[in-house]
Amino acid sequence: MALKFPYKKFPQNPNEAFPDHKQVQRPVIPITIRYKKKEIDYLALIDSGVDFCIFHGEVGQYLGVDIKSGRKLEFFGITGQKEAAYFHEITICIGGHNKKCYCGFSEFDNSKLPYGILGQKSFFDSFRVMMDYTKNRIELSTAENRVVDVETKKSGST
Amino acid sequence: MKTTLIQNQAQDLSKILKPYNDEWVALSQRNSRVLSNGHNLEKVIEKAHKKGEKHPIVTRVPKDYGNYVLGF
Repeated sequence: MALKFPYKKFPQNPNEAFPDHKQVQRPVIPITIRYKKKEIDYLALIDSGVDFCIFHGEVGQYLGVDIKSGRKLEFFGITGQKEAAYFHEITICIGGHNKKCYCGFSEFDNSKLPYGILGQKSFFDSFRVMMDYTKNRIELSTAENRVVDVETKKSGST
Repeated sequence: MKTTLIQNQAQDLSKILKPYNDEWVALSQRNSRVLSNGHNLEKVIEKAHKKGEKHPIVTRVPKDYGNYVLGF
């Protein structure tokens, strides 16, 4: 099965290097994170440069995860500062495809992280990922080979 | 699930998210309307539920989306 998503555009402040930029286009997709009986729908950035999946600590708290009971990993993030995440087994659901995920919940300042991050372990090791910026399209393939427009599939929503 | 095609257009959230700064925002599933916003994630989701959206999509709007080079 292949899952198909559009890129998303977000606001961006112009800067010296890119004075005309008012928006930025990124490979961000909606995912559902489940833990026990709770779930949350959440935007996450596909990032092949990241070794693992990491989500906001506040998302973990909402799901009822006892964050600091997880295994701790210290790493250097985009700020260049040493940061920490605590790893737990959860389920992520992408376009109806459920996947057990050993992912980190961040400890650092939430204000710096706009999205969850889908990295190599637990994401790229489960999906073939095709990102076509020129066509504004992201395709995730699993074992079967169907193409599904995920973002218009859900019903009963506003 | 049937095979469908989508238009080759990015989903533009830049205008609807621009008014928010350093807070959580709940979006509707279909239209990406902003349903609720605030600093407490649980309350933001509760407000979206009260507006009839069973599965709001939440995202954190930072002060600045910045220029992303490499994650971690």
